[in-house]
Amino acid sequence: MLQEVFSLASMPWASLSTALMKPSPRYCRCRPLIMAAEAAPAIEAHKVSFSVTNKQGKSVPILKNCSLHVPPGQVWMLLGPNGCGKSTLLKVLAGLLNPSDGTVNIKKPSSFVFQNPDHQVVMPTVEADVAFGLGKFNLTSDEVRSRVSEALEAVGMLHYSQRPIQSLSGGQKQRVAIAGALAEACKVLLLDELTTFLDEHDQIGVIKAVKNTVAASGEVAALWVTHRLEELNYADGALYMENGQIMMHGDVSSVLSFIKGKQARCRDHLHL
Amino acid sequence: MTSRLQHTIPHQSFPRRSPSSSSPPWTPLRLPQPFVPHRRRASIILLIPWSPLAPRMGTRRRTAPVSCTVAERDDEDGTGRGGTATSAAEAAARWASLIPRGVGVAPERILRLISGATSSPIGQFIESPRTFLHSVDPRIKLVWLLVLVVLPARSHIYMRLGLVLYITLLSICILPSRIWTDQLGRVALLSGILFVMLGFGSDSVPSLVQLRTPPPSVTGLSNVPSSLSGYSYIIMKLGPLQLTRKGLSVASTSACLSFTIFQSASLCLTTTPPEQLASALRWFMVPLTLVGVPVSEIILTLLLSLRFISLVLDEVRNTALGVIARRISWHQLTLMETLDVFFLYIRRIFKNIFSHAEQISKAMIARGFRGDSNMHQIYLFTDFSLGFVDFISILCLLSLIGAAVLSEQLLV
Repeated sequence: MLQEVFSLASMPWASLSTALMKPSPRYCRCRPLIMAAEAAPAIEAHKVSFSVTNKQGKSVPILKNCSLHVPPGQVWMLLGPNGCGKSTLLKVLAGLLNPSDGTVNIKKPSSFVFQNPDHQVVMPTVEADVAFGLGKFNLTSDEVRSRVSEALEAVGMLHYSQRPIQSLSGGQKQRVAIAGALAEACKVLLLDELTTFLDEHDQIGVIKAVKNTVAASGEVAALWVTHRLEELNYADGALYMENGQIMMHGDVSSVLSFIKGKQARCRDHLHL
Repeated sequence: MTSRLQHTIPHQSFPRRSPSSSSPPWTPLRLPQPFVPHRRRASIILLIPWSPLAPRMGTRRRTAPVSCTVAERDDEDGTGRGGTATSAAEAAARWASLIPRGVGVAPERILRLISGATSSPIGQFIESPRTFLHSVDPRIKLVWLLVLVVLPARSHIYMRLGLVLYITLLSICILPSRIWTDQLGRVALLSGILFVMLGFGSDSVPSLVQLRTPPPSVTGLSNVPSSLSGYSYIIMKLGPLQLTRKGLSVASTSACLSFTIFQSASLCLTTTPPEQLASALRWFMVPLTLVGVPVSEIILTLLLSLRFISLVLDEVRNTALGVIARRISWHQLTLMETLDVFFLYIRRIFKNIFSHAEQISKAMIARGFRGDSNMHQIYLFTDFSLGFVDFISILCLLSLIGAAVLSEQLLV
């Protein structure tokens, strides 16, 4: 089964849905995924490559032919070892980096949450920062207040609305950053290791907040970079990256078994 | 007590084990090995050539000295794993003596002072305890700030000292004790230095021709008789230095001005949220948009600056902490090497700050800011409304201005 799913990773996305719809024991389990895949994707990348030029003038590839497809109304997790290009891929999808090759289609408006909250939070107090992203919309003051309150409520930070950012802990700053993204009510959420600074309780709270946001409208899609396998329980799909390439793309159980297989092989190799 | 390094360090970097000890079974991993101190070396400092990759032909091999120290906890019964309580205590004492603490060394003390500093006294809004100053309208606070900048420069010396006293008392009443002691201590030190330097320095150097009291040898007239009312231009002499009335005036003006500017600004920042200050400033500046002043840009810059103050302070503190955590043996460094560490420290701070600035600009772009402050609205959530406290505050302000004007006319 593992090999069968693995072979799908190299296929172009036009043929993926066809391949998934072949009668197979996994068909019933994948049915919601397939139905969502038939809708116009919220996040779509086709053969995206990205490279940088080093000091010697040589081109170093960071992303190689990455293709992915996230349907609306779903949360997908992006996993992979450190330095494999997850954050770079996310920045390419957000439009912060220009791909060297390939095409990216993302529903607008989209929102991006950085790994380090100190890089995300730009205003000196909590509510001003959550409202910062709303400046691009033409909203009334009451509507802004309402959205800010709802977003802060969703991440459990409503009582901290007047607090200066520097007086918050790392996890609290991360929640403010997430509230900023939630307040914008975007069609696409690109989330880079959101739960790095959070404890278990806050981690679950944030995942549920994102999950509820995605599920509420059915139009929002989220791509979530993570290292924590337990977060896969809340995902509708997952991608696994290695060395700048998407090695695996599919339903959660397949990706999870793929990763666990890799872990087992690694343990065997190390005689542990 | 068995000392174990908790890092995976290449096996060959350890001193040789004694022949009697059994060699560990071979594993492909380089597992942490029991640490055995070298017999000849007085200190347990391992100089490990760090080479993650095999050196290539023709390339210069670089080595980095790594200092490893391990502090261990005794077992609950006070004995080590294989020895008595006495030997365990001796071993613990030996370990303690080998740890390069360096607290008494000046560079270490400076870095510890920096890393232990708090960012709260500088420009941070303190939400609680909530005082009457928190509820004063931010526009009135800004007018107060302006008045406190102008008055010390234009009023009598008694008025200046009264202002200093007033701000000191207000700070003590409003701020938590740990904040006001820190703030007032720093500002008083700065003002004190200014006072001494200007008081003794402004009129101490005798000039050949002095306008106020030209010597009789220059004018050819008889000397000016001394004042019958006890007036003396020179107030105090301290060796070659002298404190004159002119020096006192200059020194008191500068010192009081510095004190009132710094302390009143701190007081304002600690009792007013940054957005309220920005809103108040915008309220005053809005008419200037008619003559083309980029008010939105100025307000956004102000808000970003207020956010950045804490980031810079955090960076300075964390980098200092990073240097301390390396446990540098300052005693063994020459002066140039010590300076080199400090230059590295400063370079790292600037590098990190610029990196922060770049990341924040990326975040602003990602959050929809496109470089035009007029197109991207900043919501500041401030509703201006004047209450009873505001009227009292305005009354006090007018009284102060009146007192300053009267003092200038009545007191000589």
